[in-house]
Amino acid sequence: MVTTPDLDRDLTKRPRERSWGMVVDLDRCTGCQACVIACVAENNIPINDESHYHEGRVMSWIRVERYWEGEFPNVKARFIPLMCQHCENAPCEPVCPVYATYHNNEGLNVQVYNRCVGTRYCANNCPYHARSFNYWEPVWPEDLRHQLNPDVTVRSRGVMEKCTMCVQRIRRATRGRDDVPDGEFAPACVQACPTQTLTFGDLNDKSSRVYELSHDERNYTVLKSLGTAPNVTYLKKVED
Amino acid sequence: MNPNLAIKIAVPLVGLSVALVALAVGWFFISAWWSQPPAILGFSEGPEQPVAFPHTVHVQQAGLDCQFCHRTVSTDEAATIPAVEQCLFCHDFGKIDGTLSSEPHAAAEIQKVRDAFYGSESRDAGAIDWARVHRLPDHVQFVHQPHIAAGVSCSTCHGDVASMEVVQQVRNLKMRDCVDCHRELNAPTDCVTCHY
Repeated sequence: MVTTPDLDRDLTKRPRERSWGMVVDLDRCTGCQACVIACVAENNIPINDESHYHEGRVMSWIRVERYWEGEFPNVKARFIPLMCQHCENAPCEPVCPVYATYHNNEGLNVQVYNRCVGTRYCANNCPYHARSFNYWEPVWPEDLRHQLNPDVTVRSRGVMEKCTMCVQRIRRATRGRDDVPDGEFAPACVQACPTQTLTFGDLNDKSSRVYELSHDERNYTVLKSLGTAPNVTYLKKVED
Repeated sequence: MNPNLAIKIAVPLVGLSVALVALAVGWFFISAWWSQPPAILGFSEGPEQPVAFPHTVHVQQAGLDCQFCHRTVSTDEAATIPAVEQCLFCHDFGKIDGTLSSEPHAAAEIQKVRDAFYGSESRDAGAIDWARVHRLPDHVQFVHQPHIAAGVSCSTCHGDVASMEVVQQVRNLKMRDCVDCHRELNAPTDCVTCHY
């Protein structure tokens, strides 16, 4: 007998202990790229050079997209930091033939490097272009040899990678503790942001700042029509 | 002897022995891949250390607890090998210089530790370059602290180090080894517990 899965089931309502999420307040973002640099330093992301941009093989876990609004001369620069949205209904997950990417019970979309065989189906299926593929063995200049973060795996050639919401920091903060105070720790990008554009926390905790902000009236999720149910919420920029 | 008969006997014999050697080599590599190299040709022995540090003396005779030296094991990722200075707490200020030991090399080995701290004609002062015994792949993030907090004893994974003259690895410490134990003790088996 063939059983049909319940396609109408609400995938966002799975019970779980924690649900790590982020809010990006675009009213605050100045496009300074501090989050990008912090992410590169924290997560051992290979350094891009000019040729990588030309080839479209740039490695980044978070990027600041720039776009223009309005007609000259009333044109305005707008910025939107984009990282893995940690979708509850992630398009990348079902296409992986080796289950190297999956959703864990903390609301994280996880990439398991040692399972990944490098088919790149997940990156092709990601509407946010949040994933980067290691086309080369990563190399760092000799004087940066000691800056690698020992808490994070250095990915090798042929492996997909993406934002983990700094799971190494989550692990360190929650190790042996059930109750972590809201705002006690944050991913590198959130910590580095000078204007507090980014807020990180547990969306299951109704008293957390990230829960409060994600229910702000300016809230929206990127490409909502795709039904990916992201864990990253954006707050619209409002003109005065 | 009929030369034809000699060839008839020799050819299968040579073929058989080549096949046996190939099988033995194959078995060695497969078993080394899946668990540990078989205990032949010295493959099970621990690496030679720059200072012949005997755990037997320190644990059995001196009665030290593991955490007396490996101090960060209950709080941090790594158990850590203590700084040279920590050795000198006993071997310099405690005046334990090995001259009373029945072991003839004891005094010389302890002198190596002092040389590492103070420097000598043959070397500058600095850390001792211990050879690593237990090594996990780069994609595994092993943290000692939760294991100690859960009451897992050191010997569960490291074996009876107290009776080892030279430290060697006793468990294969492959992923199956870890996961079996995690399932048994109801510890998390989410991939991202260790792989990130």
